[in-house]
Amino acid sequence: LSDQVSFIGTVAAAGGPGAAPQGLRGWLRRAYRFATDRNDFRRNLLVNLGLFAAGVWVARNLTDIDLMAPQPVP
Amino acid sequence: MHPPLLPRLLPPALLTAPRGQRPAGESRRQGPCGTRRDAPGHRTGPGGGTRSRRDATAPLIQLPRHRREASAVLAEVFPQQMEGVKLIVTKTLSSHFQVTHTVHMSTLGPSSYHFNATFVGDRQLGPTEAFPTLIGDMDNSGSLNAQVLHLVAERIRTKAVFQTHQTKFVTWQFDGEYRGDDCTATLTLGNPDLLGESVILVAHFLQSITSRLVLGGEMVYHRRPGEEGAILTLAGKYTALKWVATLNVGYGGAHASYYHRANEQVQVGVELEANTRLQDTTFAFGYQLNLPQANMVFRGLLDSNWSVGGVLEKKLPPLPVTLALGAFLNHWKNRFHCGFSVIVG
Repeated sequence: LSDQVSFIGTVAAAGGPGAAPQGLRGWLRRAYRFATDRNDFRRNLLVNLGLFAAGVWVARNLTDIDLMAPQPVP
Repeated sequence: MHPPLLPRLLPPALLTAPRGQRPAGESRRQGPCGTRRDAPGHRTGPGGGTRSRRDATAPLIQLPRHRREASAVLAEVFPQQMEGVKLIVTKTLSSHFQVTHTVHMSTLGPSSYHFNATFVGDRQLGPTEAFPTLIGDMDNSGSLNAQVLHLVAERIRTKAVFQTHQTKFVTWQFDGEYRGDDCTATLTLGNPDLLGESVILVAHFLQSITSRLVLGGEMVYHRRPGEEGAILTLAGKYTALKWVATLNVGYGGAHASYYHRANEQVQVGVELEANTRLQDTTFAFGYQLNLPQANMVFRGLLDSNWSVGGVLEKKLPPLPVTLALGAFLNHWKNRFHCGFSVIVG
């Protein structure tokens, strides 16, 4: 598949009316494969970094809860 | 009536493997359920809680003090994996001596019985520090964990750790720590063997730059016949009023953690680890809900291994009994564990 994608990229680079969409499609395809490749270390690192940042944000902003506060009366 | 012993006496050292030393294909964080904690047992003391299944011959080294403290704080927030049924009976025989019996009926492996004895000396430096301290834990197969902590001088502490697997010594480790006014230096010898010409040496140094910022480094040197190497790790810790952040960066990877105390009831911990040798990264989010009015503590966990889990601890006054219920589910591996513990004393 990667050979096909690179071939498509080569054809796209050769110019023509469909060059820009082909390049963009190829880029999107590569980005999708990167984002869903669980065996890729860099991908896993980026995903877990994002989760870490999200976890820190949640910890700082959403956890100041009084668990013993009375429930609001409707 | 004897005055009570120090609270939170440390169980025998639960040691972690050096970075990068892990069986092939085994995640550092994975246990039987694929969750963060793979070894059910007592709530761990410093440095514990991140033990993975490991090669029995791989030496174990305890984390340096700064990472022990950070790990201890996070270990308090994250739930400990539970499976089977456990009965823990603690008896304080005097203000210096305490024994604990632990019976574990396991659903995953063989059941076990542990006998733990702890002796604490007269010299008390803090609520959880007293010297000398001797801790011993033996199980029904004859395996022993023993730890001796001693205050040699006002600023110099020493520790010795021994661990056997039945009749064979697995770990013998010696620590020396110097605590200055604004710095700490530690030297650790792991499994020194003069005849076999092998040793693991860990040296670390921490310096307080400001009242909140601590920077330091750690060097791990190992030597075996025909092989030797060293790893350098840089460490930093920032302590604010309500949160603590740590970062360790080295050749083998990086580790970042964030602990936040939102209020008296809610604490949150976030952890990220990247291991470049094993090409593995993990993320974990844990929280603790503490309700003293209800005599209840709940700890929850969510991590990047598609695991969720929780442990509920409920005291049952007026009895000196605590009931703990725990369950862990790994969605990716389709594994589920649950268990409960009864803690008396």
